[in-house]
Amino acid sequence: MMITEPRIPDPDGFYAALLAAHEGLGEAQSADLNARLVLLLANQCGDQAVLLACIHAAAEDPTTTPETP
Amino acid sequence: MENFAFAPAYELPAWPFVPPPELGSPQTVRHPIVIVGAGPSGLTLACDLAQRGVRAVLLDEDDTVGVRGASSRGICYAQKSLEIFERLGIYERIAAKGITWSLGRTFSGEQEVYSFNLQAESVSRQPPFINLQQFYIEWFLVERILELGLTDVRWKSRVTRIEPLSDGVRIDIETPAGNYTIEADRLIDATGANSPIRTQLGIDAHASRSTDRWCISDVRFKKPLPTERWTWVDAPFNEGRGVWQHLMADGVWRIDYQMPEDCDTAHISRPEVAGARLREQLGPGVEFEFVWIGPYGYRDHLLDSFRHGRVFFIGDAAHVVSPFGARGGNSGIQDAANLGWKLALVVQGRANDALLDSYDAERQRAAKENLKVTSRSARFLAPRSPAEHTLRRAVVALAARHPFARALVNTGRMSVANDYPPAPQLPEGARTVQNLPLRWADGRETTLMQLLAEGTQCLGLWLAPTRAEARAALDATAPLPLRLLAIDGDSGLPALQADETLVRHLGLCDAGSFVLVRPDAYRAATLPQATPDAIATALRTALALDHHAP
Repeated sequence: MMITEPRIPDPDGFYAALLAAHEGLGEAQSADLNARLVLLLANQCGDQAVLLACIHAAAEDPTTTPETP
Repeated sequence: MENFAFAPAYELPAWPFVPPPELGSPQTVRHPIVIVGAGPSGLTLACDLAQRGVRAVLLDEDDTVGVRGASSRGICYAQKSLEIFERLGIYERIAAKGITWSLGRTFSGEQEVYSFNLQAESVSRQPPFINLQQFYIEWFLVERILELGLTDVRWKSRVTRIEPLSDGVRIDIETPAGNYTIEADRLIDATGANSPIRTQLGIDAHASRSTDRWCISDVRFKKPLPTERWTWVDAPFNEGRGVWQHLMADGVWRIDYQMPEDCDTAHISRPEVAGARLREQLGPGVEFEFVWIGPYGYRDHLLDSFRHGRVFFIGDAAHVVSPFGARGGNSGIQDAANLGWKLALVVQGRANDALLDSYDAERQRAAKENLKVTSRSARFLAPRSPAEHTLRRAVVALAARHPFARALVNTGRMSVANDYPPAPQLPEGARTVQNLPLRWADGRETTLMQLLAEGTQCLGLWLAPTRAEARAALDATAPLPLRLLAIDGDSGLPALQADETLVRHLGLCDAGSFVLVRPDAYRAATLPQATPDAIATALRTALALDHHAP
């Protein structure tokens, strides 16, 4: 099961570290970094069903999903 | 500019066209089995049938092996195929002529990012792979077929049209001495990727074509390189594109260069252009001569069904996949071995036509799996978008430092003997049994393939049955194609010595457990506590026999 409840102990600290890692990078370098990060995190998870659920969830971009009335 | 030499062409054998008796005869002769196409799958089937004592007519439009003037085509023969060749009696020639390997390495730039050793999982007498030019395999098969003497091999005989009948197939044949017509109870189409029979019958192959382009250079040189499968995802000596490097027989290396998609295929395969690429890879001072240069693009297709009434499709006529992982030729050879024993039993009246449906069920699924696996490799090797390039760059960068990412590097997943899913004739599904070295109780050596090489029967391997059980099981299975053997114990059956590898590989456990091995060396059933009735039932199930018939 994909976990959607908060689990990151220091969310702001994590986000700040992520931004810091991207600081000064061009678009392509940032994309490379993100791709490496995704693969490293995927191996931490190591659960095929959860990985597929995460891919699915990430592909459902809320900014392009039409709003339901 | 450097001059590049070409080696003399391979000297291929040719066999004579012999006018068949049907030419000029008013009678239409009916043959039980007609195979069209003497490539690896058609020849393997003819040889498999002959080894079982079954006659067939084999038609081929040419009179030699390989494709005249063309490259060697397939080069990598996988363990399962080699085991089949051991059973057919040509393995020793292949091993003597070919290059045995089990180690593969993948590089990115100058750095090794991934390697595999296929020997680690093997318990077979055959190695994981032997590289050999395809025409040698065909050549050895033809000679073995002629030696067995049961196949009516008709060279220079082109099938121009077939007509499916309710109980067979009518076949029109064109030869240098005129045209004639024969009929077959069953026709096997082994005519390859461009099957005219498939086209004539209007069967959709769901073909798709890749835009990825490669250039093969078969070349001979003296520089000592390891006999391993080397692949580069992005080679510095090929402008950052992929390169494949394999050794074959006669000291010939196959080096495959990935080319830009929009390349001029005539230009990239000119000797001076291919030679400059090779010079960059080998460095100065290494003398080489070309054997063959040619561009290629790959395609894939897969028939929905490999059986259409009395017509069966095997090999490339049924399925084509991209070359990464050597799953094309090998699966054609394994198609033939799957169909061979079934046809033999049906032709001999020991099984029903229903058994032949399992050929489609098993091999169509295997081909579907191979298509999935090779398509993934092809996509790793030729990313289709900037995002795919980014992800591949990430995989390769991480693989250099972290073991987990090496599993994501995909320069081809090597051909395996595909598992078969559960089906009516295979309640547990089926997986291959490797060619285990075996020893009879008296110490004589044998192998599983040698046990399967005579006649057509399943093998029942039974761990230490009692005398009473063994006798009752022989009675219960008396009319059926089964060779019952004990492993250890004192049952009165011919007995093999137990060893840990054998017992573990077969999935046996306690005394009384039993494994049913099909003639194609697939495990059809495991019985943890076998009874004579359960053995007979398992055998009838595996052969798609009516449970009440004798």
